[in-house]
Amino acid sequence: MSLNQSFSRRFFLKTTSFTAALAFIPKGVRSIYEEVKRFIVPSKDVIPLMVSINKKEYSIKADTRTTLLDLLREDLQLTGTKKGCDHGQCGACTVHIDGERALSCLTLAAMIPGKEITTIEGLSEGDKLHPMQEAFLECDGFQCGYCTPGQIMSAVSCVKEGHTGSVAEIKEFMSGNLCRCGAYNGIVESIQKVAK
Amino acid sequence: MGFFDDKSEFFNVADARVDGIAKVTGRGKYSAEYDVENLCYGVLVGSTIPAGKIESFQLDLARQVGGVIDIITHLNKPTIPGLADDAKIAESRIGLPVFHTDKIYFKGQPIALVIAETLEDATYAASLLEAEYITESFAVDFEMEQIKFPLSVTGKERGSMDAWSNAPHVVEQEYTIKAEVHNPMEMHATIAQWMAEDQLKLYDKNQGVNSVQRTIGKVYNIPPENIEVISEFIGGGFGSGLRVWPHTLAAIMGAKKVNRPLKVVLTRQQMFSGVGYRPESWQRLKLGADKDGIFLGILHQAKHSTSVYENFGEGITRVTRLIYALANLKTESATVPLNLSTPTWMRGPGDCTGDFAVESAIDELCYQLNMDPVEIRLKNLSLEKSPETGLPWSTNYVNECIEKGAAMIDWKQRKSQPGQSREGDWYTGYGMAVGMWNAGRGNASAAVILQKDGSITVQTAMTDIGTGTGTAVQNIAHEVTGIPKSKIKVELGNSNLPPAPSQGGSNGLSSVGGAVVAAIDALKLQLAGLASKSNTFFKEAKATDVLLSENGISFQSTNNQFVSYSDILSNAELNSMEAEGSSGPGEERKIYSFNSSAAHFCKLRVNSRTGKVKIERMVCVADGGKIVSEKPAANQISGAAVGGIGMTLMEALEVDKNVGGLIADDLAGYHFSVNADVPMIEVAFINKPDPNINPSGSKGLGEVGIIGCAAAIANAIYNATGKRMRDLPITPDKILLAF
Repeated sequence: MSLNQSFSRRFFLKTTSFTAALAFIPKGVRSIYEEVKRFIVPSKDVIPLMVSINKKEYSIKADTRTTLLDLLREDLQLTGTKKGCDHGQCGACTVHIDGERALSCLTLAAMIPGKEITTIEGLSEGDKLHPMQEAFLECDGFQCGYCTPGQIMSAVSCVKEGHTGSVAEIKEFMSGNLCRCGAYNGIVESIQKVAK
Repeated sequence: MGFFDDKSEFFNVADARVDGIAKVTGRGKYSAEYDVENLCYGVLVGSTIPAGKIESFQLDLARQVGGVIDIITHLNKPTIPGLADDAKIAESRIGLPVFHTDKIYFKGQPIALVIAETLEDATYAASLLEAEYITESFAVDFEMEQIKFPLSVTGKERGSMDAWSNAPHVVEQEYTIKAEVHNPMEMHATIAQWMAEDQLKLYDKNQGVNSVQRTIGKVYNIPPENIEVISEFIGGGFGSGLRVWPHTLAAIMGAKKVNRPLKVVLTRQQMFSGVGYRPESWQRLKLGADKDGIFLGILHQAKHSTSVYENFGEGITRVTRLIYALANLKTESATVPLNLSTPTWMRGPGDCTGDFAVESAIDELCYQLNMDPVEIRLKNLSLEKSPETGLPWSTNYVNECIEKGAAMIDWKQRKSQPGQSREGDWYTGYGMAVGMWNAGRGNASAAVILQKDGSITVQTAMTDIGTGTGTAVQNIAHEVTGIPKSKIKVELGNSNLPPAPSQGGSNGLSSVGGAVVAAIDALKLQLAGLASKSNTFFKEAKATDVLLSENGISFQSTNNQFVSYSDILSNAELNSMEAEGSSGPGEERKIYSFNSSAAHFCKLRVNSRTGKVKIERMVCVADGGKIVSEKPAANQISGAAVGGIGMTLMEALEVDKNVGGLIADDLAGYHFSVNADVPMIEVAFINKPDPNINPSGSKGLGEVGIIGCAAAIANAIYNATGKRMRDLPITPDKILLAF
């Protein structure tokens, strides 16, 4: 597949300069060129979406390639949800979709209409922190803070799912959320505190 | 600014970090997260070959993608004055002159920047861009290449190598460590915004805003003060933010070219070749001892990788000179250029690598001598003076670290011979090692702004990469002034604030702590000066005479000589007052040597059938002088141990020797410790102030938590199994091969 693609790209590049040089080429050839161009360089599709994030309805237009993560960060300025890898390998982008933890970098914006999205910004109610946020503060469950929103969203689910029977169980069910500072002590203690 | 202050909206959690609320609510703004008007996006394109020259670009397809604004390559770049020719490039110390050369030094080297209206447009267009190259031969195989580079003597030789040629006990072994990558969770990012022809604003991820300011000012030939660097929240660094990397320069160039604010965020893949790594290394160690286990001499040889376009020296043998009283010592080193990007300092740079070899060799010697690893170390420590400088240590509590750690892990449970503790396929073992780091201090400044109500704001340009610098600054200010923490705001990470050194080498708190005290002293003098107009007691008062409190100042402890802040400021018709202070190292450095130290203890199990290593307990006792904030300090140490476990058991930058590039360069391929890989780390401190290093008595803790970790684990694996592992990372396949 990739070989074919690169072949056709090369082919197209060569014909591009060729056709550009011949400004007087017949209309028919030019329309074929436009067809080929559309095939190789697809135009972007922007679609209207109605989405619900943190109990707020947004009527937006989004590129069909836009992930939920980039929608939150780049378009809606909800930057509490973090990008750590963009490949579903680190958990920094964890949000809740219909109440369950999910990776927003592996979710396209186009997939979320009809679903309720909760981000870290929607976790606390007004000025009152969620108990898990309080626990992270008390147990110092972070250092740089970058993986923290994802850790907290996962931790809330971890408790809800009932995976808090032991330190080993908490560690297992929190291992999808990487922390390079290594603040795992505090993360586990926070979850134990809330699960009590 | 003032981002550290929004905790007042929520109730106050006792002892929480000053930036805690911002972090647990996701409100803290990291560099890529600022909402800048008219922003466009840049995506870097990397070379697909490891060595050669760019012959031509094919940009037509990428240009036709809707939303593409411009594409920068070396053919059309706006020339930066400081990179105008080879001589200037060398002088700039910028390393890779991005877009100022057609030469390719490594695979993934940025060759183009695609600028577009959206991230999606830029990413897609970047995928369509192609270059044609003239390829050249390349070298990426460290093992093969290092043989070609001869060692040369580094540092002063002590005694002579002949003096211990007849040592009754000698260990002579080689140790190797694969390259490791910092991989902070936040990818490096820059938003560059030109405010005027020679005025620049940068939202940038780094560990030293003033250093970025100076570097960029120099290459653009504009005064540093014309560049504002904003780095309020930094999602980890571990050394990767101590230099200005190509993407930052690319963002600045791009923003200038399209005359719009531009954001460049590295992808996780680009983080593997874009912002440094710990170099791959080879070491040979020869250590001799007499029959009582007294070290007679050491020969430490080390080589590590660097890039072909820049020489990076790591200092692997530095730690060898620090810990033990070695009368005969020789160290040699060499760097080995490869077609990979330039490595850089990574947590415990040099020492972490060297310490693995030294502390492993000592363990090997113990089994030869049938001597306890704790005992042999206590016998050989140089507790009175630095063996390198000859100056007395200001403080050295490494022996106490060892004794405390041994008690915590119940060291006497350790079997003196390997392979003695077995249950089915699981072997249990204990290991230990020590680490040490030269405790430094730099020149730093801070400012204190006092309001009528007695609330203060403490400012310094120093960053907080997660170490808790801001919290420590608050704690120091609280201790010195008596003003409650809820009335102390902290502002950091902006180059407009009083200058501070980069946050690296465990120097952060040691430097800035003194500056905070100096600024408060300056404030005291200002207050006393104003107060003396109404109360003669304060005339010509020294800073030491003046006591601050929540509401005002008093003369020494004479409570009846009290003037409130509100009176002082009102009488002077001021709403607030500001004082600045600086502090730095001085004469004490000519009198004393300074170190931070740690002892690491590990209990683990090894499965002989699967090669799995399960760490059951990890204990680290550290001496960082006075502990200014207990929780963040313990977090630093346990986090470093988590990093050390990764270094020892899993982390490796894998290089494809045929293609000349990296493989497995993402977080699925490059493993570092996840939560389930590590036990709850047990941390303790000696917590005795160093009276000479700085006013707060605290020494840096960032590095010692990892220095020694690897040897403690490898030594425990030997104690469990009788298999000596000298090649990091110790992955299950290596253990299985050993059985």
